[in-house]
Amino acid sequence: MSSQAAAVIGIGQTKHKKKRDDVSLPGLVREAAQRALDDAELNWTDIDAVVLGKAPDPFEGVMMPELSMADALGANGKPMMRVHTAGSVGGSTALVATHLVQTGVHDRVLTVAYEKQAEGNAQWGLAGGRSGGMGAGGIFAPWMRTYINKSGAPEDIGWKVAVKDRQNACKNPYAHLHLPDISIEKVKESPMLWDPIHFLESCPSSDGAVAMVLTNEAGAKKAPRKPAWVLGTAMRSELGTFPGRDTVRPQAGVECAHMVFDAAGITNPREQIDIAELYVPFSWYEPMWLEGHDIAGPGEGWRMVEDGSTQITGDFPVNPSGGVLSSNPIGASGMLRFAEAALQVRGEAGEHQVADAHVGLAQAYGGAAQYFAMWVVGSSLDAVGARK
Amino acid sequence: MTDTKQPDSKQDEAVDPNAPITGMDYFMKLEYHELICPVVREFADALMEKRLIGHKCPKCSLIYSPPRGYCPICTVQTTKADEIEMQTRGIVTNYTVVTPVQYYGQEETEPFAKVSLQLDGGGNLSLQDLPGVPVEQVRSGMRVEIVWAPDGERHVDDVTNRSWGSAEGAIRGWKPTGEPDADPSEYSDKVF
Repeated sequence: MSSQAAAVIGIGQTKHKKKRDDVSLPGLVREAAQRALDDAELNWTDIDAVVLGKAPDPFEGVMMPELSMADALGANGKPMMRVHTAGSVGGSTALVATHLVQTGVHDRVLTVAYEKQAEGNAQWGLAGGRSGGMGAGGIFAPWMRTYINKSGAPEDIGWKVAVKDRQNACKNPYAHLHLPDISIEKVKESPMLWDPIHFLESCPSSDGAVAMVLTNEAGAKKAPRKPAWVLGTAMRSELGTFPGRDTVRPQAGVECAHMVFDAAGITNPREQIDIAELYVPFSWYEPMWLEGHDIAGPGEGWRMVEDGSTQITGDFPVNPSGGVLSSNPIGASGMLRFAEAALQVRGEAGEHQVADAHVGLAQAYGGAAQYFAMWVVGSSLDAVGARK
Repeated sequence: MTDTKQPDSKQDEAVDPNAPITGMDYFMKLEYHELICPVVREFADALMEKRLIGHKCPKCSLIYSPPRGYCPICTVQTTKADEIEMQTRGIVTNYTVVTPVQYYGQEETEPFAKVSLQLDGGGNLSLQDLPGVPVEQVRSGMRVEIVWAPDGERHVDDVTNRSWGSAEGAIRGWKPTGEPDADPSEYSDKVF
């Protein structure tokens, strides 16, 4: 496949909160999209196509929202599509938009993802209305326990991730949870939701949206602000259940990581990546993905948490935005990772900016950890090369 | 068919009786009959005879229960010739204790456990119940045996094509055998 460079030239997000009752669903996506256009100094008429993503429709009970949102997103008369890959959808939506640019199909693509959880009941939606629903945490809890048992990680690793991400969120004005008093003590004393996951080790339920404008090299050169260049993309999936599946280190996650590293020319992710936004809805997923994506060796992921490497000032900052643990409009959560990584390499992350961030990794996963979407973005097309 | 009964899902928000109404819960219910595929039908028929069956892949030897009629890893078909009868005793390999966050239609009100099992002689089952076992006693390594629904009460009306979690009409759950717990080396890595 012939491919040309693609870059992010506009990023916008809403304030994420428990309930955005001041806006409708179209109002919510429009707010994020308008901010992305303003950031790129473009008008709605400059956009060639719109790619929308969200998690399952039962979460709000609004079926096929892409039909009624075409108006709000200025998509009438233009190509518009909706992407769905469960929780990873925000990531895969951004990648579909990127590929439309890289293949030369369109010059400027607007991509938007959202969830308005307060309008529905995600537990009910996930359970299909039936009794016995376990919630996502109930499915993932045994896998985290397996990780803990296999890696020998001390129990406070999960608490440390929960504290770190909430401290980071205090530096991000858009984050849903601002918990300045967060502490190890508070996390540990919070109710046990799904052993080993405490309430404060879990993501919130949020209303929010995020949008990006992607364009080609010519478009990026005309952009008013620094672009974030897409250096590599990858998507992978696998069966959600089969006997003997390695749920702690799903094969699709390993392959997706290697594919995106190869595409970006990364041979040593720990050294060559300056900042990572990983989909961590439950605290233990930070060390699990560090190992599951071969950023850390087996049993080394939790040590990166323990020694502070993943803090905003560490050598491998993870989720400086506060991550999914601080804002979780599910359909948007994956794209927020992608947008935050782009903000970092543009140097526009504000108070949660990581110093000298030139290469950023974003990852989203979904379903029973069976969908993966990743990109590597850089401050220049040669950002990885300059790192060597 | 609709039901507008209010679920108790927003107890963390104080309700101001004078506030304007900004939304209403409106739940839908859809009843339908699912056509059961032939291999799942055989599985259901066996449950009525108090037998637990699976298909063993002729290539990789993985055991699927309920059978799928194929091995998705090897992409080969499995047939009656690959059917095996599984033992109804095994080890709890992993578990989840769910504290229910009430949603409409949920019957559980107290914390409940779902366990994964590794059966003696091979085969794994997930999302199984341990009725009568206090959740704080649920642990990996427990040895358990099946509890069939009694004759006359046993049914397979709730068996669907969507794997486990729907055979409660035939299998009440599993009960501890009282034997010493298994060594972790016998079951670690077996989440499914």
